[in-house]
Amino acid sequence: MGRDRFAKQSLGYLYPRIKQSRTLMVGAGGIGCELLKNLVLTGFGEIHIVDLDTIDLSNLNRQFLFRQEHIKKSKALVAKESAAKFNPHIKLEAHHANIKDPQFNIEWFQSFGLVFNALDNLDARRHVNKMCLAANVALIESGTTGFNGQVQPIIKGKTECYDCSTKEVPKSFPVCTIRSTPSQPIHCIVWAKSYLFTEMFGTSEDETPEFDHSEDSENAKEIENLRQESQALNSIRQSMGSDDFARKVFDKVFKDDINRLRSMEDMWKTRKQPNALDFDRISKGASGTKPYVAQQDQKAWTVAETFTVFCDSLRRLSARLQTSQAQSGADTAAPVLIFDKDDEDTLDFVAASANLRSIIFGIESKSKFDIKQMAGNIIPAIATTNAMTASLCVMQAFKVMRGDINKAKMVFLERSAARVINSDTLKPPNPNCNVCGVMSSALIVDPNRATLNDLVEDVLKTQLGYGDEFSINNEVGTLYDPDLDDNLSKKFSDLGVKADSFLTIIDDDEESPRVNLSLTILEKSLPGDTKAVQLPGKLDIARKPKDVPAPTSNGDTNGHVKAESIGLKRKRSLDEHENGVQQDHKRGKIQMPSKAMGSQVDDLVIEDDSNDGAIVIDD
Amino acid sequence: MAEKATTPPILQGPTAKEKKYDRQLRLWAASGQAALENAKVLFLNSNSGVVGVETLKNLILPGVGSFTIVDETKVSELDLGVNFFLEESSLGRWRAEETCKFLQELNPEVKINALRESIDAFADDPNRLEQYSLVLLIGPTRNARVLERICQHADKSSIPLFYIHCQGFFSQFSLQLPAQFPIVDTHPDPASTQDLRLLNPWPELLELLEKKTGNLGSLSDHDHGHVPYVLILLHFLNVWKASHDGQAPANYSEKKQFKALVESGARTNNSEGGEENFDEAAAAVLKSLNTPSISSGLREVFESDDCQNLKSTSANFWVIANGIQKFHTSHNGILPLPGALPDMKAQSSDYIQLQNIYKAKARSDLAAVTQTIRSSEQEVGRKSSIEQAEIEAFCKGAQFVKLIHGRPIRVAKCSAEIDWSDRAKALSQEIQDPDSLLPIYFAFLALDRYQDDIDRIQKLRKPTDDQQFNDIMAGRVVSGAVPPLPTFAESAHFSTPAVDPEHDPKPWPRFDIPEARETFDNVVKELDRADWGELHNIAALTGGMVAQEVIKVITKQYVPVNNTCVLDGIASKTAVFKI
Repeated sequence: MGRDRFAKQSLGYLYPRIKQSRTLMVGAGGIGCELLKNLVLTGFGEIHIVDLDTIDLSNLNRQFLFRQEHIKKSKALVAKESAAKFNPHIKLEAHHANIKDPQFNIEWFQSFGLVFNALDNLDARRHVNKMCLAANVALIESGTTGFNGQVQPIIKGKTECYDCSTKEVPKSFPVCTIRSTPSQPIHCIVWAKSYLFTEMFGTSEDETPEFDHSEDSENAKEIENLRQESQALNSIRQSMGSDDFARKVFDKVFKDDINRLRSMEDMWKTRKQPNALDFDRISKGASGTKPYVAQQDQKAWTVAETFTVFCDSLRRLSARLQTSQAQSGADTAAPVLIFDKDDEDTLDFVAASANLRSIIFGIESKSKFDIKQMAGNIIPAIATTNAMTASLCVMQAFKVMRGDINKAKMVFLERSAARVINSDTLKPPNPNCNVCGVMSSALIVDPNRATLNDLVEDVLKTQLGYGDEFSINNEVGTLYDPDLDDNLSKKFSDLGVKADSFLTIIDDDEESPRVNLSLTILEKSLPGDTKAVQLPGKLDIARKPKDVPAPTSNGDTNGHVKAESIGLKRKRSLDEHENGVQQDHKRGKIQMPSKAMGSQVDDLVIEDDSNDGAIVIDD
Repeated sequence: MAEKATTPPILQGPTAKEKKYDRQLRLWAASGQAALENAKVLFLNSNSGVVGVETLKNLILPGVGSFTIVDETKVSELDLGVNFFLEESSLGRWRAEETCKFLQELNPEVKINALRESIDAFADDPNRLEQYSLVLLIGPTRNARVLERICQHADKSSIPLFYIHCQGFFSQFSLQLPAQFPIVDTHPDPASTQDLRLLNPWPELLELLEKKTGNLGSLSDHDHGHVPYVLILLHFLNVWKASHDGQAPANYSEKKQFKALVESGARTNNSEGGEENFDEAAAAVLKSLNTPSISSGLREVFESDDCQNLKSTSANFWVIANGIQKFHTSHNGILPLPGALPDMKAQSSDYIQLQNIYKAKARSDLAAVTQTIRSSEQEVGRKSSIEQAEIEAFCKGAQFVKLIHGRPIRVAKCSAEIDWSDRAKALSQEIQDPDSLLPIYFAFLALDRYQDDIDRIQKLRKPTDDQQFNDIMAGRVVSGAVPPLPTFAESAHFSTPAVDPEHDPKPWPRFDIPEARETFDNVVKELDRADWGELHNIAALTGGMVAQEVIKVITKQYVPVNNTCVLDGIASKTAVFKI
């Protein structure tokens, strides 16, 4: 009896199809480990695994393909090795790489029959969603948080895509609440993590995603004060390593800055005034406290304990930063430390600093355990939910492979004992979706001679019949619109438009605008007597549904990315009224990395934490 | 010695163990983790049992204390196709030991035992289950007697037992809990746990109300926009009562009017055209002004005999329940205040003051309950007193406490019909629903019954060797003149149940609904086609579901399935039935 007898018997005619399939699995974490096991034992013929992450101790409570001895190794490679033992007949390939790397282009995606997303962050999910739509490959999207799980099959043109519904974005706080008038523990934690820690050990950031700048203009004077405060703190940073460094930092942020705030009488008319802390007095009281109190992470520390942990963690972090500074060469960027919830030194510092600030403002102190969750956006994750979610992915895959799209479902897991699994019919694509509600096509470009003007005149105006009101955009921003014609004579290559990158054409026709057109660049030498920019075939572009307001031409083809990386709580009206073209360009630049495929600018990404999605999530 | 004791431990972060389990501690806390680490799980395998192995995997990863696999079979090629925790080299060896070896790799902290013996031993010896805290039993068992005895032994020792079937695209599990299974920490939705006690304010709260809203009209715009919504509601409640014979708004339409009254209090002469704190107040009207009542779950606890009549041997749960019930009676139907205050628009100092008032009240309520409990403890002569923390946890979640009454696993025998007793009516109603998944459960019962029948015939025939046994199991003609056994499909067809609850609660529910009949027949066909085999993916899903419920039972947190869950793996649907 063959080992696949049961699978053959139960799966029937689907079984040979499964055996011959070529499948991509993006992410080898919580869901990924379970999914790989299920795929292997179901008999999927060839499976590619992509994951850029390495294995961490906190993964081992659920990511069962990994063991203690695998810590710090590539998830993709170890997962492959562990799973390969169990079925020698299956071809497994592992890529320890970022799915956004240029090697994973549309052509590569097209080589798969089916793609599974087992990811932990919004950005990568959106990317794979977009690539699968462009490659016209079915995608099984999944995510978990705690006891909840979700599986969503996505098929171009037939179902909603990942971006058809808006996703929740992380919370942000007005700058003044964080810097001047905190009233809740979270305000102090954000202050410690995103302001103090970064100013002391990281690169000073004007734009932290957790800061909401929409009220800045109302508080212009205070914002200016705060800016000076940061600069002063930065100069204290220069004395890192000196004996009185802790005292200097302490006096600055827990005494002088507080006294300055206190002196602003208007601010405290209706609020309780903060009380500055005195280094010597607390230091005296803390003389008997030992730094290992930092291990007690379930209780809120006393003032003396908090103080001790603050000084000790500051010392540990300073030593670390100085060591790496000493080791780095003169020509490399200055080394910085990054907050990581699982990095004990950074967590101690943030917990202690946050609690000292809470004491100053009369806010309740939190335990280190709680602060870890609040500062690290920790999403609870357990083996059982991952196991169920991964199996549900495979069950939906069966339906997609059978061509039974009508029977495919959006499936939810919930903690409730009344039902266990819930499902919902898949919705048709949202016609207003900025990702799948677009027309897409390849654009054949002769890199030696094609100019932007060729695209505008030959293809868009002449061949496709666009009027004058439209814009051409890519991930960097707007390349062309009726008021921006400087680029027309430039070649594609001079504009940085390379093979496999996307251009988005937004029609601003007042009467009946076309849906957005997404063009993927295909480079090819074309005979000299033919046009330098061509479409591979005839295109019939639909018009936008009537009720949709025409989009603003800010070069943003992916509105939610804006919200995700910068805007957060920005009110839409503010965007429309106050942000002129220049600002849009600036913003486009910041967004670039999160949308850039195949470009080498990924290091610009403002990434907060891997867990920025609403659903989802397991690291 | 003294010197040694004061040597500080090496500075380090949380233990490696805490780090490893960090993500799950956030769901069931240290108390749940401790319960898990003390649990001893017994896995009785009588089939391919992948569903059991997958369940164990999901318990080993989060760190269950120990488990024991009982299995009398050797590894076959078929096992390798579905069981991830076996490999080529395992072929021909004892399956219990091989599976243990690979499972152990998942977590070195878990104690693992393999017993190569038949699970029948656990049916024969009523005391063998006693050392375990939970049993996973895979069906069908060799015969109905084995199932029945094991279930009885588990019930007698109050050990939770899961009885699990998984074949082809279908699976099912039933949970036999002790007759009384109370859960204090049910983890209700945080939003639903808020009790602001607005209809029964106490002096300290009223004092703050007077201070902050005594002259609401003359407050500056800033102050007016920062009155916490709790105080706004209390203020307008007083306004309302003054014109309604001292009564608070009682029904929906009155609450709507009251909401309008609150909204009319907001100042609109500003750029937003309103005030956030008043918006919050208006939004909270419906959920914050309910007359105090207790949940049906808590009522059941209060009314139960164990709560009414404490004994020296009463479990902590009942002693605390009794204390809270007395509080409830003596405080005009209110429960101890949980004390949590939601976030709201307010000056920080006001918010903190308000928070302190709520916390102080929660503490004094807790003290009152504790005092009652201490005197009951003396009265009934309990030897030890209950820890304050346990009382506090109960007080905070009292409204959401749940008492589950465990029910026995139904055993399908070839010689007798099942007694559906009090569930007969509900089940025959359920089967009226053409989309019901209940027929899947009946198909598995039919399988158990078929197995029992095979075993009976088997014993009559006394097969001479393994080959003959296998032939009989597979329904093949045994060489010689003996006629074949019926196949499962045939057997299930003839044994299909008929029941009329009005006359006789014993026979099986009647399939006079064509859809139910069709579902049943299809499942039977599918189970027959699966040929006792498991599909890995379905076993993995079911293993996830079972492990989730096992964790709820072991940690006594969250409410587990009560008591039978059915999976249709073709439609990706589940259903839960009380059977």
